[in-house]
Order: sequence, then structure tokens, then C-alpha cells
Amino acid sequence: MSFEPKILGIACNWCTYTGADLAGTTRLQYPQNLRVVRVMCSSRINPSFIFRAFQLGADGVLVGGCHPGDCHYNTGNLYARRRLAVTKKILEFSGLEPGRFRVEWISASEGNKFAEVVTEFTEQIKNLGPQTKFKIEQ
Amino acid sequence: MATSFKQIEEKLKTEAAKLLESGSVSLVLAYGKGYDEKHPMPYVAKCASDVANIVFNEFCTYNMARYLVRYPRGTKIAVAVKAADSRAVIQLIQEEKVKREDLVILGIPVSGMKNPKTGETIDSKTTCGLYNPVLYDVLLGEEVHGQPVVSPYDVLAGYEAMDKDARWAFWQKEFDRCIRCYACRKACPMCYCDPCFIDQTKPKWGDKSPEPAGNLMYHLTRFHHLAGRCIDCGECSRACPVDIPLYLFHKKVAKECEEMFGQAAGMSIEDKPALVNFRVDDSDKILE
Ligand code: SF4
Ligand code: SF4
Ligand code: FES
Repeated sequence: MSFEPKILGIACNWCTYTGADLAGTTRLQYPQNLRVVRVMCSSRINPSFIFRAFQLGADGVLVGGCHPGDCHYNTGNLYARRRLAVTKKILEFSGLEPGRFRVEWISASEGNKFAEVVTEFTEQIKNLGPQTKFKIEQ
Repeated sequence: MATSFKQIEEKLKTEAAKLLESGSVSLVLAYGKGYDEKHPMPYVAKCASDVANIVFNEFCTYNMARYLVRYPRGTKIAVAVKAADSRAVIQLIQEEKVKREDLVILGIPVSGMKNPKTGETIDSKTTCGLYNPVLYDVLLGEEVHGQPVVSPYDVLAGYEAMDKDARWAFWQKEFDRCIRCYACRKACPMCYCDPCFIDQTKPKWGDKSPEPAGNLMYHLTRFHHLAGRCIDCGECSRACPVDIPLYLFHKKVAKECEEMFGQAAGMSIEDKPALVNFRVDDSDKILE
């Protein structure tokens, strides 16, 4: 059986989540490995969410927010950009495969981009195989 | 000629007595006698007669900036700080935990501090490697010149060169030894949250007792919370009863932050902490 990764998506309400909606309503095809959690802004994402997601068995985590300059709360994603960059470095230095965590800016009108990013990221995670390092064995 | 430890102790006592007698501060954070020479203790002098108990020697490694946040705001405090310790004071000022005008900073220029546990000289492998305080009101001795300061990040080269699986194995082995005594966060001048995230129960981020998943969660999150704030004093690693080299991870995060955001923690009271700040033109490259 082929490996079907579990991917956690964390998307901001105003851009990426709406972009995902658009991808859906325009009937774009993309892999179903992504489970999306909606947050009000990318800056609401506590980095521990990401550590925890990997512990609970995510093979990849994709964060989506508004393009810098377009955040509904003006500056949220500008803080988030710095914070999530640090998260990425920490995951990398701990020894996790760098490709398992990704941040993308996807606007409400970019349904296409949403579908493309999810397709590409799912492919990448499939190539990396199951995530076993953080995962807590039940 | 560097000022001797004995001379620094004398100067520290004289300054402390002056400040307490004149009433310009209500306490002096310094060092006092422990059960032997090698184990001095943090000491708070509250009146002129306490001053006789102050000591200073090569084992006075504790970062006394740790104790600043314990006192109500507005308390006038004199604090004895070595190089990295002064950076902690600066960082606490940046974070608005203390006010510059409430402090008298007694700077101690020093080289050749020793780790009380191993007796070894502390250098830039486990700390920032500076000799002189960055900020002070009174300098208790001559500035230390001479020995070139090796980059505090040089020690990382070997770990950065490891492949990801070797690095994972390395940290797993280290974190597995953690007994969750929390001495690291107790010793750290920047760990002042109450409650600490790991003590929260709703949500519960990880087990509080030692087990692999909780250990990983505790340490990675702690490294994250100290990003752009850790001033590389090395106290967490020295406090650790099982000698986990926490400084390596903190240094790595500090190095990345310095490269990405163009500032090191605790170097200027004009800076804003890097992670509560941004530039509109921060590059998306940092996310790659
Ligand atoms: S994390 Fe360690 S090295 Fe950094 S400031 Fe805290 S005690 Fe010092
Ligand atoms: S001081 Fe060492 S053993 Fe204690 S909690 Fe920190 S890392 Fe773990
Ligand atoms: S609202 Fe979308 S990133 Fe802030």
C-alpha cells in the first residue's frame, strides 16, 4: 500500500482559509492528505502547536497566512514570519527533516496557488516518508 | 593588569556600603559565602551591616540579573554583573521588566571565572566569552584587554556538520537524561514566566515528569521562548545536574537570530527584542 501522509494545515481565516474555500468551490483537484485548522491570523500560531502536531503523528505541517502587507490585523504575519522562521531553525537543529515544515502566503483569491502548494507539499512529504522522530508511539 | 578577585570584592563592598548607607538603593544583589570557597551563593545585602558578608571569587558564576524580577517595580536595586550578566540586565530593560532608572549597575570586568562543578575555566565555548560588562554605572576594576575573544559560535561547527539523523540521536540521548528538576529555568535570567508553559494544564503541552515526549516539548519550546533573548551566560548548562549542553542549542538559535534579524540579545537598551519586532522588508528567505 502506498504511503498516505497526514498533513496538518494551519490557515488564517482571512486569506489562506478563504483561498482553500475558493479552491473547493472552483472544483480544483488536490490531494486529500491535508487537514486544515482555521486560526484568526498566522500570528495566533503558537510554535508549540507545531511541535505537538509532529508528536501526535503529523508527517508534515503547512502554515498559510496572508501575504506580508495584507494581514487583516496589519502586522500579524510580520511577527509570525520571524517567529516561524525560528521554529523552522529549531526543528532543523533538533534533527527533524527540514522539508516537513513549510510556511506559505496564500491570498483569498489564490485558490490555484493553494491547490498547487498542497499538491507539491504532499508530494514532498510522500518522498520523505513517515515522520517517526517526534511521533509518540501509542 | 587585571584587577584581582580580592580587589573586586573590596570595591564591591565599598560601593555596596555607600549605596545602602545613602539610601539610594534598598538592596544590593551580589554574592555571599556558601559552605566552602568553591560554592559562593547569591546574596542580597539589605543594610550596611550586611555588606561584610559579600564575597567575590572565581566561582561567583551566578547571573544575579536573575533576581531582579523578584522585587516590586520601582524598587531601587544595585546589581553586581559580569559581562554576560549585564546583557541580561539590558534585555530585561528592553522587555520592560525593570527600569534603567531604578538600577545601579555595578560592573565587574573579569576573566578566568571557573565552573564550581568542574573547576575548569569558563570560556566562549559555553558562554558569550565577553570580559567586560556592556552596560554599567560603576566599573569595579580595570577593563580586561588582551586575549582575543573567539566567536561564541565557533563551538557549533561540529554539530552543524552532523547530518540530521546524527543530530537527532545526539539530542535524544541528551534529553533522555533530563530529570526535569527545572534548575535550567530557575537559573536563567530570562525565564520569568509565571506559570511556565510546561506547568500549564489547560492546555497541557507535555508531561511534567521526565519522559521522552515531555522532555522534547519542554526543551524545544524553552529554546523557542528564549530565541533572541538568551544572552549566552551559560548558567542553565552549569546549573544542570546531569550536564546537558543546553548552551549548544541556545547558541545555535542565537546565531540564527543574529543572522536573520541583525541584532544580538542584550547588547543595547535602544533595541527592541527581535521577536516582538519586525521590519516590513524582512525577507521571506528566512522561512526557507
Ligand atoms: S538560556 Fe541559559 S545561557 Fe541563555 S540566558 Fe538563560 S541561563 Fe543564560
Ligand atoms: S537542569 Fe538539566 S536535568 Fe534539570 S530540567 Fe534542566 S535540562 Fe533537565
Ligand atoms: S489575518 Fe491572515 S496572516 Fe494575519
